[in-house]
Parts: sequence; structure tokens; C-alpha cells
Amino acid sequence: MTTATSIQLLAPQCVLVFTAIVIFVGGAFSEGRGPWKQLGIFGLVMSGLILAQHQRAFETLLQHNEVAATFGPVSLDLLGYLASWLALGVGVLLVLQVTGTDARGPAPEVIGSLLLLVAGLMLAAQANDLVLLFLALELISIPTYVLLALARPTPAGREAALKYFFLSILSSGLTLYGFSFLYGVAGSTQLADLYSVAAGPLHAFTSLPLLVRLGVLLVVAGLGMKIAIVPLHFYAPDVYQGTSPAAAAMLSAVPKIAGVIVLVRVAAAARPDLGELGWKLMLGLSVITMTLGNVLALWQRNVRRLLAYSSIAHAGYLLIGLAVWLAVPDKSVAGSGHPVTPGLAVSGLSAALFYLVVYSVASLGTFAAIGYLGRPDRPLDTVSELAGVASSHPAIAAALALFMFSLAGLPPLAGFWGKLMLIIRALSVDVGPSAISPGVRHWFIVVSVIAVLNAAISAAYYLRIIGAMYFRPQHGAPAADGGLGTKLATGLAAVLVVGMSLYAGPALHGSDVAAESGAVPLPAAATPRARPAVAQNGQPSVAVPQLSAASR
Amino acid sequence: MESTTVPILLFVVCALCLAVGTVMAGRFFGPRRSTPVKGMPYESGMDPVHDTRRRFDVRFHLVAIAFLVFDVEVLFLYPWAVASKQAAQGDPARGIDLAVQSQLVSSREMVFFGAAAFFVLLLVGYVYDWRKGVFRWR
Repeated sequence: MTTATSIQLLAPQCVLVFTAIVIFVGGAFSEGRGPWKQLGIFGLVMSGLILAQHQRAFETLLQHNEVAATFGPVSLDLLGYLASWLALGVGVLLVLQVTGTDARGPAPEVIGSLLLLVAGLMLAAQANDLVLLFLALELISIPTYVLLALARPTPAGREAALKYFFLSILSSGLTLYGFSFLYGVAGSTQLADLYSVAAGPLHAFTSLPLLVRLGVLLVVAGLGMKIAIVPLHFYAPDVYQGTSPAAAAMLSAVPKIAGVIVLVRVAAAARPDLGELGWKLMLGLSVITMTLGNVLALWQRNVRRLLAYSSIAHAGYLLIGLAVWLAVPDKSVAGSGHPVTPGLAVSGLSAALFYLVVYSVASLGTFAAIGYLGRPDRPLDTVSELAGVASSHPAIAAALALFMFSLAGLPPLAGFWGKLMLIIRALSVDVGPSAISPGVRHWFIVVSVIAVLNAAISAAYYLRIIGAMYFRPQHGAPAADGGLGTKLATGLAAVLVVGMSLYAGPALHGSDVAAESGAVPLPAAATPRARPAVAQNGQPSVAVPQLSAASR
Repeated sequence: MESTTVPILLFVVCALCLAVGTVMAGRFFGPRRSTPVKGMPYESGMDPVHDTRRRFDVRFHLVAIAFLVFDVEVLFLYPWAVASKQAAQGDPARGIDLAVQSQLVSSREMVFFGAAAFFVLLLVGYVYDWRKGVFRWR
């Protein structure tokens, strides 16, 4: 039911959209370049304050022993909050590091589009409905086209924008086609209805599970393009190479986060029907994605192209976590209505979420450093241009080395903890419920070995960048004209990476809790169902809390 | 056979007969004098055969996009206007009232302000277009 409360819940997104509108219109009325970056940061901070208030209200709910609540198409759970905070952090890093095509700084449209896609990402994080999920994905895609078109006024830049545009439209179509099958089975766009239909007693005797699988397959194909999973990764290297570092940074983080979150939401709803298809698909895609990404990255000379293949490889690691999550039957979740301790059932999902955060921050920091070392009209291109940066810009070189080590997964950095958790949880698949056949375990052992080998391969090209910076003589110092913003973004990302390395335990606990709350779609409390739905877990649906009073 | 499907089948048969019949009639009775101009595909008076990579003035695209924006706006406003109509006294609720009754939305005002927000957002787009000089045919 669409009420004032469900609109109120979207206040953080509304603030971002409003700020974006102010920036768009203000930019149209002023000739020069105004304080758009500052205004953008201000909007993100305001949105963060409101989100913090909402979360505080939500946590008082938790003390009443309620895990999550829904308000029509909007849901409240810790997975949504985790992704929202990640979106805001990504937004700050992006707004800081974005540069214009000349020394005058970014156009107002660029900042406005960035805010819109952060709003879209936050919407995707909280959506509990197929229509809202698709809307959120489009709210991310359309500003992305604008950003890519504005990023570089060169033929390569235009080619990149057009390539991404066409492939992204194709992926949206595939996703929507998949959604239509899921809607057909559930009879409702609510994800919770799909779950209760799929978990129904006679459902397995019909042919509907096949339709659900087909739908999920199409959704994976559509989102796979955004996450850059291998058969659908072709655009990434060309687009990253053709566009500016800041736009490449956006592409390496935002569509990936959105894709993973939406995939988790859809997979959680369709889970009872997926059977073995879910984890087998994820595992297979994971192996080819990480292997191909890492091996092809070895040959690259262009920094952005190299990082594109690296981002493909990281998508592969991520999928291991999702495969683990889908392989372990969710006994601990389905059995008890209110799971309290993070169990094995969601350990894979939790590792994937943690890895997603760690990767996003390091990737954004890397692109910020690359952006700083180049010029707005001519970004740094080849790895050899990084030669001797350590002596000319020691701080930036140190930060870049930190990001490279973290991406490569060297202890004790955050990337290491991320990979370690993924592999540990892949190896612990067998200690779960006895329902898992021993064959499953062997698959995960094989994949763990492949992942470790891949980490070793990836070290080669990450170390090549570090080697160029530290051990090669300088020839023609890089312009280093990216401006203060890129420098700030690099510093902020470095602080975040160090922070996550030092506080990996609490961060992991956070992702455990978030995974726990997002593993099962929430029953829509106030929505009348189209058909008598099976009461989920035998529990009455969660009561609508007085959020409006608490969040004031 | 159910009584509802028979008329539909009859309709389909009639439509098929009519369509095929007129085409066949034209074929049998019509005169056929072919000229090169007649063989050309008709496309609003333009020469339909030319290089596909012909350049268009970008102004056409701007006008087309502006048209599309307002076209879609109207498209969304019509159903809202139709649904807003309140049923007469004694008749069952319809449109928005029905949605409120079956708890899809909380109130009529909710729908009104939603539509108003949509309208304002499009107005902002209009102002942006105007300031960017989209409506100036330079």
C-alpha cells in the first residue's frame, strides 16, 4: 500500500533527486561553473543524515525483536541499509574525483547525473518489488549514458558512450523479460509473493519452477552485463579505455553494486525454485569470469583497460560467495522466523557483500589516483606513463600501491580478508546441514583452488603497476593536473581501505548481519495479495511500526 | 463449443474472407499499368533510396526529444484524469476511489500529489530545455 510512510522512507533518495534538480536548473541559469561539486557533496551528506535517522528508528524496531519491515514496494532491512551507505560513500568518492573535459571543472549535468544514479542505487537497495527494482536500475542506467557522453569529447569517448548505451539497453530488455516470467508465476510484482508461491506445498509438482528458472536465467543475463560477468563482459575494456578515469570509476562500482544487490533480491525470492541451477550457474560463471579477466589483464598496456579486466576478474570472485549462499540450503533461515546469529546459510552472501564493499572502495581510489596523475583533457593512458611516480608524487604513489595490494589480496589489507572469507566459506560448504551431497563439496574445493591461482595471476599485473611507479626511472613526469578533488578522493579511499583492513572483524560482522536480513524477501505487510498466499514461515507478517514518529 | 467463442470464430472467418477477397478482387479486376514511379516505395514524398549515412541537423533530434517528453506527460495524465472521476451517488466506487477502498493507496490526496509531483518534475525539464535554448531554431 502506497502511503505517506512509504514515501517518507524514500526521503534520502528524494533529497538526492531534489539536489540534482537544483544543480541541473541552476547550471542552466548560470553561465560559468558554479559550486556544483560542493552542492553535490552537501546533498549526499544531507541524504546520509536522513538515512542515519531512519536507521536509528529501524534499530529501535530491531529491539522489539523484529528483523525487518516492509512498506508496500519499499522494504527496510539491513542489507538495504548496507547498500545505501555503500551508495552514498561511492557517491562522495565519485563527486570528489569527477573532472570536466577542461580546467573549468565538471559541468553541472555531470554532478546532477551522479546524484541521480546514487539515488537509483539507494532505491535498488530498498526496493521489494519487481517494478521498483527495474525503475531503480533505469535510474542508474540513464544518468550513466549522460555521464559517459559528457566524459570525453573524443571519438573514442563517443564510441564508448554509444557502445555502453546499446548493450545496456539490451541488458535492460533481458532483465525485464526475466521479470515478466517471475511476475507470471507469482501473480504479483512483490518479491515476497514470489517467494511464498515458490515455497508453496504443491508448487514443485507443477511446471512453474521451470518458468522461474528461465526468468532467473534471463535476469542473470541482464544483470551480468552490468556486473561484467564473462560472456557479457565485452563492452567493459573498450568503454573503460575510451572514457575518462572518473567515468570508468563509476562504471567499475555503481552498476556492479546495483547488479549484485538486485541479483541477491531476485535470487532470494526465487530460491525455493532454483534447485541446483543457482549455485551451478554462479560457480561456472565465476570460474570463467575470474580466469578470463585475470589472464587477459596480463596483456594490457593501457591502465584503464587493465583495470577493466581486473574489475571483470573481481566480479568472478564475488560470484563464489553467491554460489556458496545458493548451495547451502537455508535451513536456519526457513526454520526459525527470526534468525538471531548469523548462520552458515548466509555466510557466502555475507562474504560476497564484504568483498563488494572492499573492491568498490579500492577501485574508486585507484581511478581517483589515475585521474589525479593525468590532465582533465588528456588522462593518463599507459602503464609506462606511471614510471617514476614514486619520486615525483610519493603520497599518490603510496596510495595507489595500497589499492593495488588490496586488489591483489595481500595481507593484511582489506582485499586479503575479502578473498580469505570467500575461500574459507567456499571450503566450509560441507560442514553445513547433511542435505548437501558430497559432490557439491568437491566443486567448491576445485573453485577455491582456481580462485587462489587467479589471485596469484592477478598479482602479476598489479605488481607491474607498482613496479613501474617505484622501480622505473622517471621519463617525463605525468601532468598530475587532476585537481584537489581527485586528491581528496584518493586520500579518502586510502583511509577507508586502511580502516577496513584494521577493522575487518567488525566490518565482516556487519555484512553477516546484513546478509542475514536480506536472505529472505520480506512479506509485504499491508499489501492485499492477489491470491491467498502461503503464510511465510508460519509467522504473521511484520506489523507496520510507527516509523513516522520515531524518525522525526 | 461455448457460445462466446462462436461469434469470435465467425468474426475471424469474416475478417479473413474480407481481407483475402478484396486483395483477390483487385488482382482479378484491376488494370495493371506499371511505371517506374509506381514501383517506388512511398515515403512522404522523399526520395526513399539514398545513402543511409545522411546527416541530420541535430535540431531535429532536440525537437523530437522535447516532443517525446511532453507526449509521454500527456500519456500519463490521461489515465489519472479518467480515474479521478468520482462515481455518482449510489454507484460502486471506481477509479482512484476503488484503489483507496482496496487499500492500494492510502488516500485521494496521495494520488493527487503524486501526479502534481510528476507534473512539477516535467515543468523543471521544460525550464531546463528553455534555458538551454532547445526551442530556439538557430
